[in-house]
Amino acid sequence: MEKLYLIARIADTRVALRSRAINSVVTVGIPVEVPGAPPHVAGLFALRSRVFTLIDPHVVIGLPPVPVASGQRVIVVDVADHGYALLADAIEDVCFIEAPETRVAGKLLPGWARVADGMIEHQGASLLVVDPSHFITLPVMKAA
Amino acid sequence: MVQLQFLGRTGTVIDDLLNDFLAETAEILADAGGALVAWEADPTDRAQLDAIFRLVHTIKGSSGFLALPRVTALSHAAEDALDQVRRGNRTANAALVTRVLAIIDRLHTLCTALGRGGFEPSGDDGDVIAALAEQDSPSDTGYDVAGVPLRRDDDFQSELQSWRSIRVPLPLLDSVMTGVTDIVLARNEFARMLRESGASPTVIASFDRLSDSIAGMRQSVSQMRMQRIDKLFAPLPRIVRDLAQDMGKKIAFQTSGGEVELDREMMENIRDPLIHIVRNAIDHGIEALEDRVAAGKDITATISVSARQSGNQIEIEIRDDGRGISPDALVAKAIASRAITAAEARTLSAKDKLELVFRPGFSTAAKVTEVSGRGVGMDIVKANVEKIGGVVELRNDEGRGLTILLRVPMTLTIISGLMVRAAGQYFAIPRGAVREILLENGDTVRIDRVGGGELATVRGEQYPLLRLETVLGREASDDDDVDDRALVIVRPGQGQSYALSVAAIHDHEELVIKPAAPMIMATGLYAGTTLPDNGRPVLLLDVQGLVAAAAIDATETGRNHDQMAAAEAQANAARNAAQLLLFRDTNGRVRGVRLSVIERVEEIPASALFESAGHVQAQIGDEIFPVHTANLPEAEGSLKLLRLFDGQSVLCYPIAEVIDIVRLPDAVQPSAAPGLIAGVVLVSGEPVELIDPFWLMAQYAALDGDAAPNQPLCRLADDDDGWGSNFLAPILRNAGYRVVSGDDAADEAPDVLLCLTEDGASCAHVGDEIPVIRLRSAVAAAGPDDETVYRYDRQALLDALARRVGGGRA
Repeated sequence: MEKLYLIARIADTRVALRSRAINSVVTVGIPVEVPGAPPHVAGLFALRSRVFTLIDPHVVIGLPPVPVASGQRVIVVDVADHGYALLADAIEDVCFIEAPETRVAGKLLPGWARVADGMIEHQGASLLVVDPSHFITLPVMKAA
Repeated sequence: MVQLQFLGRTGTVIDDLLNDFLAETAEILADAGGALVAWEADPTDRAQLDAIFRLVHTIKGSSGFLALPRVTALSHAAEDALDQVRRGNRTANAALVTRVLAIIDRLHTLCTALGRGGFEPSGDDGDVIAALAEQDSPSDTGYDVAGVPLRRDDDFQSELQSWRSIRVPLPLLDSVMTGVTDIVLARNEFARMLRESGASPTVIASFDRLSDSIAGMRQSVSQMRMQRIDKLFAPLPRIVRDLAQDMGKKIAFQTSGGEVELDREMMENIRDPLIHIVRNAIDHGIEALEDRVAAGKDITATISVSARQSGNQIEIEIRDDGRGISPDALVAKAIASRAITAAEARTLSAKDKLELVFRPGFSTAAKVTEVSGRGVGMDIVKANVEKIGGVVELRNDEGRGLTILLRVPMTLTIISGLMVRAAGQYFAIPRGAVREILLENGDTVRIDRVGGGELATVRGEQYPLLRLETVLGREASDDDDVDDRALVIVRPGQGQSYALSVAAIHDHEELVIKPAAPMIMATGLYAGTTLPDNGRPVLLLDVQGLVAAAAIDATETGRNHDQMAAAEAQANAARNAAQLLLFRDTNGRVRGVRLSVIERVEEIPASALFESAGHVQAQIGDEIFPVHTANLPEAEGSLKLLRLFDGQSVLCYPIAEVIDIVRLPDAVQPSAAPGLIAGVVLVSGEPVELIDPFWLMAQYAALDGDAAPNQPLCRLADDDDGWGSNFLAPILRNAGYRVVSGDDAADEAPDVLLCLTEDGASCAHVGDEIPVIRLRSAVAAAGPDDETVYRYDRQALLDALARRVGGGRA
């Protein structure tokens, strides 16, 4: 389990997520909007009689929000007893990666620097290893 | 009517308590058996010994409460022996362990019998107790451990079953609840698919059957978490008894509505507030005995705790008939403790003054007592109740008592919600906060734009208007029909209200509320999320938070002040007018009288009654009042009097006891002739004679000692044998004259002089300015010029008086 990763494309970037942090991957319909909520909250949806809060990683990274399409796949995570789901652009694979996680080399965009834990080598590409719980909270908003 | 119980408990509570005790004891005995054997193996193991001691002590404690003398005696003996070991007075050895185990076995037998029969079987436990008390003899050393009759686990199983209740961990219950909710959602989804696929009627019929049983199951699971509120009330009689004894007060404690059910989690949350309020009532509310007598109250105070269900809320009312709260004393204290300034105090309404009680660190006690008044008080109670979505209300009747009403939701998780639409999506509003729903373009609603804000006027009452779309920062949806727009009058808390304008009202349903993610809660707009049957999440609006978000002042103070005050006064008047005091008459009949005519209930010694002028009078303090009774009471001791007051004079009506105060029923069967009894009403199915205070007062009106000075003064002369004062004076007083007898020093010239003897020796010197009436003892007149009046001719006498003075009431 330690070495099992989910390879997904979120916020226009291929990332690896440690599988133990992930509850499941599901598809959602149209979420229910939450007026007045912070901008990265894309809405609410129900799954197995639980209400999940949908997070748009684009906003967390500092990109403009994307509309949620029906049937879009989301990554369900539990953070502090609350259920959240990260909108994913694409889910690529779940695989064992034997390579060790390495320290982030090079300069990242500030948005990514906050959520990335490290990097990992997979099939000839370097992937950011991100912690989904970092997407739940927004960085202190800059004055728009 | 409330079931009176003097520190007693109802049968069902005792059953529940007994079941709990048995289940608990079975576990304890099982533990104790094991622990004893382990301890025996290592007598130096102090921790083990302490554990056993605690277990036995627990049994003793609970059995004492349930009045199980044999269990108590047995556990006490075991506790005693173990304590001696703990103190080092006795050494632990096999013999001691055997004897303690013998006690444990006996306890077991008793508990099994209790479980079967529901009562403790009679019998003698002297043998095992004596054996335990016995000090060791050398022969005991050869004891064989293998002989200890340990209970086997399956024995406990069968016994637990016979007690017909099991204990289930709460998380398990919760997971069952979640599972069932899942099933319901899956069913809804499936039903949609069935409808769309055009399945055959047989499939739909069998699906409906499945659907029904799922609904039933959901119901049962919700009930599994519910408990009778009896459980909450059960420790109260004991607390009241002990405290009342400590403080030398007499208190009758009643509970009612114990069958009301409440989610057990809620129960945990209101246990401490409830106990606190009851203790407060005993300590501060109920006056000392002498103060109660002085206030004309029954010596035995009453504290009643009642529960009732209203919608999906539970109301718990704690009522005492003590001194209530003095708002002015509260204000004085608040100023003294610098909680408020004197200037602020002047602006407070009566209700605001009362609310001072909820200020942190505020104690109403004049002095700090052991029981309460330590500054930890009503603020904690209020905070605890509000934490679970409840409300605390005070109903103060200064001098007569205080009623505290706790209103809490039945469960933490299920509320009745009103579904509304705004900006194209649904939101839920807690039904409890909704006061009224109106169509926005209805006749009763007027909306004004005032300085950029909006104001809704509903039947003369004004409310600040919030548009839900605006508060949420959304645009109104184009799909909305203007005719659907509705106003929801919301009361987020005490003394606050506003009108919330929404695009449409949908319906209302029972909602399972879950907290939303922290960043959503942080908006302050929402109180949680819920999943209605359609499977789409809905946000529950925080009706209090909306006020803050919209930055409006929702307090009602100062708005519609006159109407509200008038409405309150009217409600008060209606309440007073409609109440009936039920009492037992001295002849044992149950009678009633309107509460409003009663000034107070006096308790006086029988010796304070005396007979004067043919009527029984009572001396109360420095005053003398007529008493409606034919004879002086024969018995010594004290008696109770109702003090009727008509605004001018007082009449005492002796009673045996006060029974209750009830609402005066609307239907009165009037009696045929005017008299003491105005009619008969039915109270709780029993006929009650209604006293006619008008008639009563009319009988005694003229007897009033404080007769108006404009009543003619009648002087009796030559009343040597006392006939005048004994026989004549009452008639004269009845007829509206003041009477003085000849011996009294007359400061005032009498209007008429009555000479009681025919020769009229002492009347001779009276001048012509005072008319004189002479009475004769002979029936027949002496001649045509005889102006004397026969002394038993009441009418002639009164006529003569009326002619002479041109006054009187006759």
